[in-house]
Amino acid sequence: MTSIFSQIFTVIMMNIRSLPKRFWMSFSATLAISVVVAVLLSFLSMSNGFKKTLEGAGSDKTAIVTRSGSKSELNSVLTNDVVNIITMAPGIAKNADGRPIYSPELYVVVDGIKRTTNTQANLPMRGIASVGFDLRGNVEIVEGRMFESGKNEIIVGTAILREFSGFELGTTVKFGKSEWTVVGIFSTGGSAFESELWADARTLQSQFRRGNSFQTIRVLLEEPGNIDGMLEAVKQDPRLILDVQTEIDYFKEQGEALGGMVTLGWILSIVMSLGALAGALNTMYTSVADRELEIATLRAIGFSNISAFFGTLTESLILSLIGGIIGTVASYLFMDGLTTSTLGGNFTQVAFSFHMSPDLFQNGIILALVIGLVGGFFPALRAARLPVVLAFRGGV
Amino acid sequence: MSDFYLVYKNLTRKKLRFFLTLFAIFIAFLIFGALAAFDKALNAGVELSADNRLISVNKINFTQPLPISYVRKVETIEGIEAVVHFNWFGGYYKDPRQQVLTFAVNPAKLLAVYGDDIAIEEELHNNWLKNQQGLLVGKAIADLYGWKVGDRIPLNSNIFSKRDGSSSWEFDVEGIFTAKFPQADTNNVYIHYKYFNETQSFGGDFIGWMGIKTTDPARNEMVIKTIDEMFVNTPFETETVPEKAFQQSFLAQLGNIGLILSSVVFAAFFIILVIVGFSMVLAIRERTNEIGVMKTLGFSSVRIFKMVLMESFMLIFLGGIIGLFVATFFLGFLNNAPQFPLPDLILSSDIILRAVAVMIILGLITGIIPAVNALRLNIITALSRR
Repeated sequence: MTSIFSQIFTVIMMNIRSLPKRFWMSFSATLAISVVVAVLLSFLSMSNGFKKTLEGAGSDKTAIVTRSGSKSELNSVLTNDVVNIITMAPGIAKNADGRPIYSPELYVVVDGIKRTTNTQANLPMRGIASVGFDLRGNVEIVEGRMFESGKNEIIVGTAILREFSGFELGTTVKFGKSEWTVVGIFSTGGSAFESELWADARTLQSQFRRGNSFQTIRVLLEEPGNIDGMLEAVKQDPRLILDVQTEIDYFKEQGEALGGMVTLGWILSIVMSLGALAGALNTMYTSVADRELEIATLRAIGFSNISAFFGTLTESLILSLIGGIIGTVASYLFMDGLTTSTLGGNFTQVAFSFHMSPDLFQNGIILALVIGLVGGFFPALRAARLPVVLAFRGGV
Repeated sequence: MSDFYLVYKNLTRKKLRFFLTLFAIFIAFLIFGALAAFDKALNAGVELSADNRLISVNKINFTQPLPISYVRKVETIEGIEAVVHFNWFGGYYKDPRQQVLTFAVNPAKLLAVYGDDIAIEEELHNNWLKNQQGLLVGKAIADLYGWKVGDRIPLNSNIFSKRDGSSSWEFDVEGIFTAKFPQADTNNVYIHYKYFNETQSFGGDFIGWMGIKTTDPARNEMVIKTIDEMFVNTPFETETVPEKAFQQSFLAQLGNIGLILSSVVFAAFFIILVIVGFSMVLAIRERTNEIGVMKTLGFSSVRIFKMVLMESFMLIFLGGIIGLFVATFFLGFLNNAPQFPLPDLILSSDIILRAVAVMIILGLITGIIPAVNALRLNIITALSRR
C-alpha cells in the first residue's frame, strides 16, 4: 500500500510530464499571470523609488523649522527675528564658540525644461550657506566647484542634469532678469536634494527681493531625534508660530505623496487578476477534462481522490509560480532604475528612479500564487469528484 | 436554421468556458472604460480651455509674483476684452490636509473672463460682488463640506498669516457656482483680492498671475507679444501663453500619466488576447470532426470561415458591451462619492467609439487563426482525426 504522500507525488509528476500536451493553453494562463504581476510591480516600484528618494534626504540629527501649518518648505516664511529667537532654543548643538549650529534657507521655484516632454517644469532653487552643507553630511561636488558667496553662481544636483536641459556645467541660465552661471554639479547619494539648484542664500535673497526673510531653518540637534527643547520654546513664546520636525519625519511625510499610486496599482492589478483568474480556471478545467480517463483509471487502481485533487492544484500553482517569476523578472529588467520625475509635495519636480525590492517581489509572487490557488482549487475539486466508472467506459 | 443561431449555439455549448472567457473580456473593457474616462477627466482642463483666453505669469515661474500695477497696464492693450488676476491663497478648511483650492481675484472681472465656464445665478453673483468677505464656492466643494449660502466659514492659509498673527480668515458663502460643461471641475472657491491683500501680513500689492480674454483668437499672438514686450527688462518679466498651452505644460509636470494609463490598458487587452485567442483555437480544434461533417453536408469553406470569425466577434462584443455598461455604472458611483477629487468621469462617445474599434481588432485577431484552420480543413483528415 503506497502512502498518500507518494500517491500525491506520483500524480503531480504525471500532471507535470503531460504539460507539454497542453502547452499553448497553459502558456496563455501563465502569460496572463505574468502580465498582471508586472503591472502591479511597476506601480509599487514607482512609489517605492519615490519614497526612497525622499526618505534618503532626511536625517534624525537635523530638525527643520517651518511656519505652522505650511506643510512644505515652499509655503513657509520666517522673518529674521523668528530665526534669531528660535535658534536660541535648548537642544540645538553648539560650535566651538558656543554658537548654535543652524542653516537658514531660502526655497524658490524657477522654470526648467523637462527633457522627456520639452515643457516647462517647476524646479526648486535653494539659497543655502556652507553650514547647510555640513548639516547634510553627504554633499559632494562631483564636477566643477562650489559657488562663491555674493556671486550669481549656482551648483546643480545630478538629477537636474539628467532630467532637465540647459543646466550643463558652465552655462548661464536666466531667471527673469537675473543671470546665473552653473559652476558645479553635486551629488547627495541619490536623495531628493539632487533635484535642486543651490545658490548662496544672501545672493538669492537680494536677487529675488526676499529682504531678510527665509523659508526654513535646519538646526543640528544635540541629541539625534530629540526636539523637545525646541517644541517647548515654541509653546512658551507667542511670537513663534512654528512647526518643528526632525528632518527624517518631514521627508517621510513628503514621501507619502505617491502613496495613492500604491492603492491604484493594487486595485488595477486585482481587477486584472480576475481576468487572469478566468484564464487560469479555463486552463485547469481543460487540463482536468483532458485527463479524465487517466484520473479515473488511477482511482480504479487504488489512488485516492486526494491525490487527484493535489495533482491538479499543484499543476495550477506551478504554472502561476512560473508566471509570477516571469512577471517579476521582466519588471526588474525593464522597470528597475527607470528614471522619471513628478511634482512632489513642495510643488516642485522630484526626480527619482523606479526601485524594486525583495518585499515587492514577494508581493508579486504572492499575487501570482493566489491566482494559481483559486484557479486550481475548483478544477481540482472536479478532478477529485470524477466518477471511477469513467475508466471502464473505454473512452468518451 | 440561420448561421447566426448555429454560431450562438457553438459559442455557448461549453457553458463554463464561455462564461470564463466572456468574463476576462468583460474585465478588460471595464478597465478600458474606467481608465479612458479618468484620462479624459485629467485632460479636461486642456480640452475645455478656450481659444480666446491667455495666461500671463512671471517669467521665472508661475509661483513667482507680479506687481498689481501690471493689471491696469495690460487692460489698456488693444485686443483685450478683460483681465482677471489671481492669487494662490493656499487655503484649507480646519485641517491642513483638507485643501481647498482658493483663489483671490478682482471679483468684477471673474465672469468677464471666465463667464463661458462658470454658471451662477445673477442675484447671488451680485451679492458676492457687494460683500468683500464673500465666498464664491464651487458645487463640488459645497457638497463635500455641506456649505450653504449664508454660512460663515473659516478658511486657513498655509502660506499667509493675518496681521494679528492668525492664519484663519472668515468668509460668508454668498453663492455656489456650477460648471457650464459637465466635465469641468468645480473644486475651487473665489475670494476678494482686496480683503485678502488688506488683511495679510507680508508682501502686499502682488498678484499671482493674470487670466486674459482677447476679443478674437486671431489677435492672441499680437496680444502676447505686446504684453511680454511691455515688461521686458523690468524686475518682473512676464510670460504669456494661450490657456491650452499652460494647462498642457502643467499636466506634463505630473509626469507621463497618459503613458502609464495606456500601458495598463494595453496590458489588460494583451491578457484577453492571449486567453481568448488560445481558447478559440482549442474550441475549433475540438470541433474538427463536426466541421468535417458540415463540409460533407455542403457547407462551403467560406461559410464556415465566416461562422468561426463571427463566433469570436460575438464573444468579444458581448463581453465588451457588458464591460462598458458596468463601467458606466461604476463611474456614476464614483462621481457621486463626495470625497472624489476629480471632475465627473464620463464615458463619452469618442471613448465608446475607440472601444468598438478595439473590439473589432480583437475579434479579428482572435478569430482569424481558427477561422483559417477551419477554412483549410480537408474533409478526409477532419473525419479521420479523433
